[in-house]
Amino acid sequence: MINLPEATELLLVARKTLLDELAPLLGENAKYTVSMIANAMAIAIREVEAGEAPALGALARLDRIYGIAPRELHGEALRRTLAMHDQQLAQDIRAGHFDADDEKGCAVLEHLRASVAARLRISNPKSLP
Amino acid sequence: MIPDDATRDGLAQFIRAASGASAVRITRLARMSGGAVQQNWALDVDVSGGAFDGTHAWVLRTDAPARVAESLTRANEFRVLQAVQPASVMAPRPLWLCEDPSIAGSSFFLMTRLAGVATGHKVARDPALVPDRRHLARELAANLARIHGMQLSRRDLSFLTKRLARENIEHYRGYLDSLEEGYPALEWGLRWCERNAPAREETTFIHRDYRTGNYLVDNGTLAGVLDWEFAGFGNPLEDVGWLFAKCWRFGQHEYPVGGVAYAEDFLPEYELRSRRTVSPAQLRYWQVIAHVRWAVIALQQRERHRSGAESSLELALTGHLLSDLELEILALTADHA
Repeated sequence: MINLPEATELLLVARKTLLDELAPLLGENAKYTVSMIANAMAIAIREVEAGEAPALGALARLDRIYGIAPRELHGEALRRTLAMHDQQLAQDIRAGHFDADDEKGCAVLEHLRASVAARLRISNPKSLP
Repeated sequence: MIPDDATRDGLAQFIRAASGASAVRITRLARMSGGAVQQNWALDVDVSGGAFDGTHAWVLRTDAPARVAESLTRANEFRVLQAVQPASVMAPRPLWLCEDPSIAGSSFFLMTRLAGVATGHKVARDPALVPDRRHLARELAANLARIHGMQLSRRDLSFLTKRLARENIEHYRGYLDSLEEGYPALEWGLRWCERNAPAREETTFIHRDYRTGNYLVDNGTLAGVLDWEFAGFGNPLEDVGWLFAKCWRFGQHEYPVGGVAYAEDFLPEYELRSRRTVSPAQLRYWQVIAHVRWAVIALQQRERHRSGAESSLELALTGHLLSDLELEILALTADHA
């Protein structure tokens, strides 16, 4: 069993070493590559730290939109259910089912905003409004 | 392309034959920055005899190993550069096309090397490079109006695609349909574009990548427009929306025009020169299209990495731009259904 806190600690210290000790020794091009590596590591750290919370939040919102009773899902089952929900929502938006400025339409827009914010917290928290 | 002696010899021979010179000496062949899709090489040559007798600074443009489905082949990009020459739209002058892969590993062409700096964050952030933002914006506007005013033969350039608003929407939906996952935020943006699509549209030649990072600035002045590989026919406002898109501001968000100028520095000049009007609603519409397009490109880049076709950290990270683009799409489309 992988101990996740240890994984993020490892990534954090590896990233710090890369930036503090290796980057100063490098030329411009290599520095750019190192900054990309550091960025990728930071994304991975945030993703591990967020855990299942973003997916669980999305599932709860989508279940409400589609009138499904709250349920407890984790791991692969959570991932697959959410993927199916996203497919359905994408189709329904395209078909115009959520065009109206009514309760449903607003709930969908709120869900999209919350999902984008959750992903930004991992991909690029600096952009969060 | 590997810039070894064999490549240099092959190139020198090609130039000698193409230019009618008696001798050609390559004095420099060095990779230029930028171009994840194309590789650009700075090429300095001494030519003896023939019409090109003298010293020249050229660019060799070839395909990088990773191609983007949307972009033109080098041969067709070369034809576009030829076709736009008479209009003086600041494109580099194309010299010769070589479709024999034995010299550079793939097709390539040579073109003149224009002076100036293109690097996006420098253009957007270095006041020494752009001392007068308004001046640059007006030049960008006038030049874009010239590009849109060119009367190019659709028959001679039949390899170019034509896409107006609805065709863009269909095109991007088609790509999303090829993916396993659903992208509800992008669908939201596309549905908004469909509901707000213009009733009538003009069709002109468009550059489709007219943005900071793709033009050269020399002494504060527009000195060249690069990267014609996405050119086609479409709604001229697509180019305006792309230039104004938030993703091309290099962090300089107070300047909506590519991170270099205010809208009022650009739009009146574009309107005057093109005899077109650009309403705030039209500008918003084409900014949404621009962000959807960037999101689709980011997904394509990520897929190139994920599929194993080209494992690359840069491509993998491009996928993480998606949420920034979705955020902007939701902001632009909110309260304007």
